[in-house]
Amino acid sequence: MQGIFRRSLGTAAVAIMLSATAASAQDSYPIGYITDLSGPLAGSYTPTWEGFELYMKSLNDRGGINGRKVDIVLDDDGLKADRAVANAKKQAERDNVLGIFGLSLSSTQAPVYAEMRKIGVPVVSTFSGILDTLPPAKPFSYSTGVVFEVAGEVVGELIRNIRPGGKVVGVTIDSVGGRAAIAHNKRMAQSLGYTWDEVIFPVTTTDFTPFAQTIAEKKPDIVVGHYGAGHNLGVIPALRRSGYNGPYVVASYGASEETVKQAARRAGKGENIFFVTRYASIFDENPAIAEVTAAQKKYGTSKPFSSMHVTGWALGKFAAEALRACGWPCTREKLDQALQTLKVDAKGLTGGAIEMSPGNGYGPSYWKLYGWNEKENKMEPKSDWLKKTDLKFSVQ
Amino acid sequence: MEFLATIVILTCTNALLAAGIVILYKAGRTVNLAHGELAIVGGYVFYSASLSGSDPSLPFAIAGALAYSICMGVFIYVSMMRRLVGEPFYVAILVTVGIAIVLKSAIIVIWKAERLTIDFGVAPAVYFSGGATLSYMDITGVVLTIAFFVALFLFFQFTRLGVQFRGTAENALLASQRGVNVNFVLSLAWVIAIGAATMSGVFFGARAFLSTDAVMIGLAGLTAALVGGLDSLRGAIAGAFIVAAAQYLTVRLIDPVLSEAVPFLILLAVMSIRPWGLFGTMEELDRV
Repeated sequence: MQGIFRRSLGTAAVAIMLSATAASAQDSYPIGYITDLSGPLAGSYTPTWEGFELYMKSLNDRGGINGRKVDIVLDDDGLKADRAVANAKKQAERDNVLGIFGLSLSSTQAPVYAEMRKIGVPVVSTFSGILDTLPPAKPFSYSTGVVFEVAGEVVGELIRNIRPGGKVVGVTIDSVGGRAAIAHNKRMAQSLGYTWDEVIFPVTTTDFTPFAQTIAEKKPDIVVGHYGAGHNLGVIPALRRSGYNGPYVVASYGASEETVKQAARRAGKGENIFFVTRYASIFDENPAIAEVTAAQKKYGTSKPFSSMHVTGWALGKFAAEALRACGWPCTREKLDQALQTLKVDAKGLTGGAIEMSPGNGYGPSYWKLYGWNEKENKMEPKSDWLKKTDLKFSVQ
Repeated sequence: MEFLATIVILTCTNALLAAGIVILYKAGRTVNLAHGELAIVGGYVFYSASLSGSDPSLPFAIAGALAYSICMGVFIYVSMMRRLVGEPFYVAILVTVGIAIVLKSAIIVIWKAERLTIDFGVAPAVYFSGGATLSYMDITGVVLTIAFFVALFLFFQFTRLGVQFRGTAENALLASQRGVNVNFVLSLAWVIAIGAATMSGVFFGARAFLSTDAVMIGLAGLTAALVGGLDSLRGAIAGAFIVAAAQYLTVRLIDPVLSEAVPFLILLAVMSIRPWGLFGTMEELDRV
């Protein structure tokens, strides 16, 4: 008799626990986040994730969205497309997420978008973005990140703030994204009266000195680097060692203030290093950046605080607003509907609102040129925010 | 002058790697495919050890790198390679592939795949006309590479241990029967090889940056060793120079995109004409 009582009590306890878990799951917004936390670009992607997490932590601590918290399922793709797809399927089928956010390198994004499109899961990338999100955007595909073609054109325009004409040498790695960025940079620069030359080096390059000497020999007035943070660390000091001390523009694909600071230290001189970014530098003084900084101080981050955290924070804000617009109960279909017309005030984090419209999963984007101030060890704005609505040149 | 200096510096990085690969092959017929990983992890250890005090410290960094070379060399030989005696040679190769994977994971787990730079001696020491410079670390790298090869030559030619080493390389069983402590000699081979690789990783970290991708420098070292001849230290230097010059000249004169492929084209050409390499010994070739 006592045994039966104990078993019944145990069963009841398990039932209560299970129902509590189910209630908790039902009372929250489950979303997925996939990025590279262990692969070659983990150093760049981790701060973006941390920025996203900072936003969600502070949101949940304030009570969440209408009293319901946001639960994030985090998975690491290690910069591998097959792992990214497997993670996305797992999050969609097992974790029942409403949408997937983040993503890593552009090469991992296309298959995730394609797979999630089949089962109707909206995906919002940040950091880098792909053409699937530009008009005419594919269904369920959104990005608050950097599309190479857009960044290429923006850099071409913003370098006018450094000098109005002269010879630009574009440098990139031999990748689809790098070539796309440099092709649009070239056409925009040429349309604005610059002459153009370029150096493309293999993805696996380890020593940049021979390439830097080739660049220096071309006698550029401006050098633009279209690659991730790490390559800038190699190329900038190598360029300075090769005798080129003119303007160098870091196009921000994961590069941040930290990248510039580290490269400047290695180069022995930080003058003439510029930085083009979609999201604001942490050195900007405005209420939005102050809010991110306060959250960073409160919750802490494992990586040095930088504009990559601002990028992740902006995505967090975008995701939260999408869930708010989705209402309760939120479904994938309703979230996608909400995303299609979502407008989020991101002033201060970038130049203006992040705004989607039917058939446009990217919207207008805002870009700014900063310059490194060696004496004060900080970024300084060198331009106003540049609003970019459409690609000026067709994608080839 | 500037181009010559660059080729010499690249040659030194490759030669240190190739020398390690040659030493391991000569000593135990092991083709080490984890050499790039050992070099870059060595660079990371150097970096981390330098931060042991309140300020970055070069003596701490050197001590850390030395400790890493000795511990890692002894550990790999004692725990893995020694147990492979009598096994087909490709088993050891596969083990080195495993070591490479583990070391790359270590970079991710311990250093969070962070791109790190070694900032000792990066200030300009030599100025060329046109503004190009060489750093103190570049010059140190060249000097230490030359010193390493000279020391290696003296060690093999004029020391008792060096003779035992050569004897072991020639015929381990016979050397063992003659009282040579073969296990000690082979452990020493791993220590020297990893020490050279670590030097290469440190010089590389001072010129570029340490990362999980940087382990690719091992390929340049392996190519140099194969071109020069897997059992020839002289060949390691020649191979390192050929690879460095080929890469440099391809970037400067042909097309930068081809710079990674050209050394392998040279390797294919050499292998098809002299499979034992330019300075290697013609011996029975095993096929995997």
